[in-house]
Amino acid sequence: MGRVFLTKLALKNLLRHRNRTLITAIIIAFAIFYYIFLDSLIDGMTQLSYQTLIDYETGHLQVVTASYWEEEQELPLDNLIGLDEQILTAIRAVPGYLGSSPELAFRAMLSNGVNELPVVGKGIIPDHFGQVFAFAGQYVDGTIFQLGQYQAVLGQRLADLMQLEVGDYITLLVRDRNKTFNTIDVEVAGLVHTSNPNVNSNYVYLPLDLVQQALNTDGQVSKIIVKLANAKAAKRVAGELAGVLQTSDPRLQVYAWDDLEAVTVARAKQAANGLILVIILIIAAIAIINTVILAALERMGEIGMMKALGMQTKEVVYTFVLESVGIGIIGGLIGMLLGAVGIWALNLSGLDYGAWFDLDMASYGIPIIGKIYGAWNPHSFVLVFGFGVLVSLLASILPAYWAADKDPVKAIYHR
Amino acid sequence: MKKYLLVVIGLAVSMASGLSVFALTAEEIIAKVDANQYITSARAEAEMVITNAGRKITKTMVSITDGENGLTEFTNPRDRGTKFLKRGDELWMFFPEAEDIVKISGHMLSQAMMGSDFSYQDLMESDKLTELYTFTLIGEDEVNGRPCYVLEGIAVEGKEVSYYRRKIWIDQERFVGLKEELYAQSGRLLKVLTVTRVEEIAGRWFPVASVMENKLRKNTQTEFLITALEFDPEIPPGTFTLERLR
Repeated sequence: MGRVFLTKLALKNLLRHRNRTLITAIIIAFAIFYYIFLDSLIDGMTQLSYQTLIDYETGHLQVVTASYWEEEQELPLDNLIGLDEQILTAIRAVPGYLGSSPELAFRAMLSNGVNELPVVGKGIIPDHFGQVFAFAGQYVDGTIFQLGQYQAVLGQRLADLMQLEVGDYITLLVRDRNKTFNTIDVEVAGLVHTSNPNVNSNYVYLPLDLVQQALNTDGQVSKIIVKLANAKAAKRVAGELAGVLQTSDPRLQVYAWDDLEAVTVARAKQAANGLILVIILIIAAIAIINTVILAALERMGEIGMMKALGMQTKEVVYTFVLESVGIGIIGGLIGMLLGAVGIWALNLSGLDYGAWFDLDMASYGIPIIGKIYGAWNPHSFVLVFGFGVLVSLLASILPAYWAADKDPVKAIYHR
Repeated sequence: MKKYLLVVIGLAVSMASGLSVFALTAEEIIAKVDANQYITSARAEAEMVITNAGRKITKTMVSITDGENGLTEFTNPRDRGTKFLKRGDELWMFFPEAEDIVKISGHMLSQAMMGSDFSYQDLMESDKLTELYTFTLIGEDEVNGRPCYVLEGIAVEGKEVSYYRRKIWIDQERFVGLKEELYAQSGRLLKVLTVTRVEEIAGRWFPVASVMENKLRKNTQTEFLITALEFDPEIPPGTFTLERLR
């Protein structure tokens, strides 16, 4: 019997057992939908965490001295960089340059006159800061300060913890370059609430000139943060810029956002999420195998009949495997459609993760800002579709062989 | 005219020298305090009463020092076994519950020690104040009915010191510090240490009870009481090693 006939027979079988075909396909479809949706969600979360880092802390590039970078956790006040015109010009000339913001970071004890809390202070130039970081529109109360003003901006969470409001005065106890205590007394000018938890509860922003004076750092800063038009180009641009900057100051180094530890950690987490996806795939495979085997067993009698009519084992197997692949394709298509609709629905309003991670957020009377949107990953659609079809194919071979190998009489009367 | 100028200068010089005859200089006063209070080696039992917003916590401890190194072990039930080891410029801490030794460094040094008004840094400061500060005698005052010299120390440029300015009240008779105010560079008063009891131990006047107040926090103070003090005790070899800290 020819291939064409067998192929036709397989297709006919698919249509003849419409209900069974559909039920099996739907099981496969659900497995595939589940994978696609979860993959999109996890990727969306990762993208969001990157965006949160870039928009509020790291920008795309950080210009620092290599020795400062090694001790960055301690926020030392040595190995700083001066804001030389030569350096700034080189930074502005970078391809895709959108803005740059110098920052002098330091550790401090925040005091409201009653209690103390360790915080990280950041001296910034407001105009430059606005070009790089997405703080505009995130003010819950008040606004940014100007250079030279004795004012500060801090996170709403931190303010609530210290019972501070706009207009209140705070004292920051700091250690200057000689480790001598100094205090900075400032008025709270603005409170922000962002999707970055560090900004909300750990950071206090102050005018750069004020900080430099209090810390005795002679016009120097810890780092210069650069924002680019294209995040993907960061690594390449970082390498080029470092080359240019090192001609004027060999201590300088440029780090791209995707070289940061936080990003590496996020990548590792994503790998762990990948493991979850693999488990989902295994569960999906088991579901598919189970359905295919049951379908074959149910049709034992039919197989016996086909053999009695003169079909060879090989031909029976071919027909069955083809039928199974057909089911896999139908299931895969339905699954992809469901997945696409699922992601589309998710992205209509975004998933409000505040409700999961930050349960008391509503008590601050703030609209929740962080929302997860699913990512579109065409490659995961293709991957999971191929996987579904392949599993259906492989899973059908063994039961088909087993049934087709039986004596026709025994197969027909197997019950 | 020239003659008149000479007379004025002569008068000024004699007045200035007259002042220094009248009283000790700041350096001499500090040197006398150092001679009286400087400990080469000692073993002390002490009590720390931390008051924070009306809540009182008492911690007791035993300390041994050989001048350069020091070992403090807490003995009150809650912190029993917690140890601090000062080795030169380094400070180590041992937590019995975690069975772990932690080095206290960097910004951790500025934080409050065991919830008190003392920072770790306060414990680490070396006693040679004259090397770190330039002292001047700014007046005389009374603390708890005892006449005192008031000295002001300004940090020597370029030296690593915690407090830019300190004001010290020193007993004119016993040469014991009775009160100290610690200021930030901005001029803000950060901490006040008041000695509440002075006792004569082995022929030396020694402050045995004092109160530290952190002026950036409200309603908190730490009382420090020395309950037993022994000079030049026998220190077993290896007392100040990390191995013994466990």
